Amino acid sequence: MNERTSARASPVAALVLAWAIPGAGHAYAGRWGKAGLFFGCIVGLLIAGMILGGGTVFSPHELWYAAQVWAGGPTIALTPISQYLSVHEGIDYADRLRETGTLYTAVAGFLNLLVMMDAYLKMAYPHRKAEKEKE
Amino acid sequence: MGEALVNFFAHLVAISNPLWAYYPLCAVAAVVYKATKFDEPRLIARAAAHFFLSVTAGMFALAAVFYLITLVF
Repeated sequence: MNERTSARASPVAALVLAWAIPGAGHAYAGRWGKAGLFFGCIVGLLIAGMILGGGTVFSPHELWYAAQVWAGGPTIALTPISQYLSVHEGIDYADRLRETGTLYTAVAGFLNLLVMMDAYLKMAYPHRKAEKEKE
Repeated sequence: MGEALVNFFAHLVAISNPLWAYYPLCAVAAVVYKATKFDEPRLIARAAAHFFLSVTAGMFALAAVFYLITLVF
């Protein structure tokens, strides 16, 4: 496995990269397979949520945004589009599909938080798993 | 009561039920969660399938219990 193990590799950089682009923290650590999997799953959920909710699922005025924002870069990129659509097409709060789409994007945010922690911990404690297996 | 439960499950898995939208969400959550735990693709797939089936079966069981309670009262 071609993992980044040099002393210069920073767990904090992996954490920040994982927030900015889902999967980028693992790519930074040389785990390209997992990086692709996480990017595909999280960005896929965000796009699916956006489509299900008619494009109006990202609203910084709603509490859901506190979960969505953990998906980092993609959420911040999609927010102005969502705001534009909300203003021009209106929001139907009673729409079940919008609710489902919002949930998709919120779960994507929480999953990226999990991925960020994984990227950080795997770089900060690279021998942890081997030690656990020894025990 | 048995017939009522069958009708209830038929309604749960009906195409018109929006519950279907949550299965892909649960599947993706299972894959991402288990990919943070395991490194081998085979182990990830197995653990994710186990997680998905456990959550789905658990939710169905919980739904059945709550439905039965509503029938009693």
